[in-house]
Amino acid sequence: MRILRFVGRRLLQLIPVLLGVVVLTFLLVRVLPGDPIRSILGPNATEADAEAARVRFGLDQPIWKQFLDYLGGLVTGDFGTSIQSGASVTGEMALRLGPTLELVVIAVTIAIVLAIWLGIWSARRADRAGDHTVRIFALFGNSIPEFWLGLVLILVGYAALGWFPAPSGRVDPDTNLTPLTGADLVDALITGNGPAISSAAAHLVLPVLTLVIGVLAPLLRSVRASALEVLRSEAYAAAAAHGLPERTLLRGYLRRATLVRLPSLAALVFGTALGSTVLIEYVYSWQGFGQWALRGLLYRDYPVVQASVLIIAFAYVLIFLIADVVHAWLDPRVKI
Amino acid sequence: MADIQMAQPDAVPVVSGTRDGRFAKSLIYVGGAILVVAALAAILAPLLSKWGPTEIDPSGTLAAPGGEHLLGSDGNGMDVWSRVLHAARIDLGIAVLAVALAVVVGTLLGLLAGYLGGWVDDVLMRIVDIFQAFPTFILALAVSALLGGGFFNLVITIAAVNAPAYARLVRAEVRTLREMQYIEAAKTSGASTLGIMWRHLLPNSLTPVRVIAPLNCGWAMLTLAGLSFLGLGVTVPTAEWGSMISLGTSDVVAGRWWTSVPPGLALLVCVLGFSLLGEGLQERADAKRR
Repeated sequence: MRILRFVGRRLLQLIPVLLGVVVLTFLLVRVLPGDPIRSILGPNATEADAEAARVRFGLDQPIWKQFLDYLGGLVTGDFGTSIQSGASVTGEMALRLGPTLELVVIAVTIAIVLAIWLGIWSARRADRAGDHTVRIFALFGNSIPEFWLGLVLILVGYAALGWFPAPSGRVDPDTNLTPLTGADLVDALITGNGPAISSAAAHLVLPVLTLVIGVLAPLLRSVRASALEVLRSEAYAAAAAHGLPERTLLRGYLRRATLVRLPSLAALVFGTALGSTVLIEYVYSWQGFGQWALRGLLYRDYPVVQASVLIIAFAYVLIFLIADVVHAWLDPRVKI
Repeated sequence: MADIQMAQPDAVPVVSGTRDGRFAKSLIYVGGAILVVAALAAILAPLLSKWGPTEIDPSGTLAAPGGEHLLGSDGNGMDVWSRVLHAARIDLGIAVLAVALAVVVGTLLGLLAGYLGGWVDDVLMRIVDIFQAFPTFILALAVSALLGGGFFNLVITIAAVNAPAYARLVRAEVRTLREMQYIEAAKTSGASTLGIMWRHLLPNSLTPVRVIAPLNCGWAMLTLAGLSFLGLGVTVPTAEWGSMISLGTSDVVAGRWWTSVPPGLALLVCVLGFSLLGEGLQERADAKRR
């Protein structure tokens, strides 16, 4: 019950923030230079053509009217019509979310598991060779430009070794995969399409690896730091002095206590990963949410910009909320 | 949203294994040395390269490294080595300026919000909340797409994205300092609000900022390069690492490494320099606190 009340209160607090995001993006995208209509009409269009197009997208209306229309649509889940494609923004977005979530969720999951394992391993060998190697790796991971790492992996994995498919898409079109969720591996598994499963998996390896290396470093550093704190705590020293078996120490004391800081960090890393995917999708020609939002921004496609910015903000604040709930659930000391 | 801390993952407190100052010192020295070399390379770039950064060699597009071009030439026939060196000016310049601007603006806002409290605090912090409702790179992307590219717009973009985190950091620091007795003492002896902010709160609240700023410079370089890579950064023929990597994308698929690997390595080394410096400073701060 208390958790429900906490979630309710936090959701209420989110409303002003999200409303602020809605108003700010709506205004900024219109105030700053750039005209979405000119970019779809081509160079030979007359002023009358432009005017007709403005009327079609409702851009001739006074700005308060446009804003009310936009808000009215939002309430019913309608983000408007894309100026570039003329299609429904909600529909387009649904197609694009799957591929991106597939990348981010797989990469962040792998990174979290690796970070817990390697971080604890490293902390137990503090200041020995293995620990130093892990720390140096984390430093590099923190400093590496992810899009460049993606290119280097293509250079090695595709151009030199030929182990992985060319960075142009998410699945081999010959496999005739039926799209369901947009996440190709999931679709292939659901439809039981064997060749598509292996093709989608092969296409995923390099982008996921790129993302994992990028997000692993901060997680690793944090897990190592918390594990060290636990190892040096009096409670752990007492437990060890009592002669508890190694396994109990590791599982009951070290691992659980180390995980306490992880949820909020994982949320942060999830956000970082969302940002990085824009670059990684670009490198691997991965037609996902990031590519779509980027195009919207570049062509000033107002409805697309508004929708993508709002969705990202919503996802980001929501994931922090989930992290806080998980934190409270993991750590009995936290009162919410 | 109480738990959104600094927007960069770097801001995780690091408890290190070695508690003596020597390790911290060596990190600071190595990081500093890297940055000094990078700065020298940027300053001396014209002396160290035979070609100009945007000079086109008509006879040598995509020439392999060695011979006329030390690191080969790119698809436009420009010398990669010279461009890598000259790009350091843009990349280091924008990153350092942007972080400096973010520190100044963020610190001022944090001071105001933390010391004055009340509605000033409410308004400023709600704005910070909105800024921090986005992953930082996405925010940078949106701001730069709307503002446009170019040197000063990029400085403003990166500063705008980072300033809220400093505001929050300084505000938290000021709120604890505000309750200290020496502030009370200064007040009773008739010091003005501005005087207290300037003389007591500002210097004392800057401690965490000093540690975060170098790490932040590294992050700023990565952001800048990322934006340029997507075509949102500097204008095209300008030598900048991110846009050089972007130009080399098509070469990579064909197995030509020299157009995109060297600028990325230069970027990596510089960011590493900032990371080492920041880590060393953090380690020293942690050691002092004990």
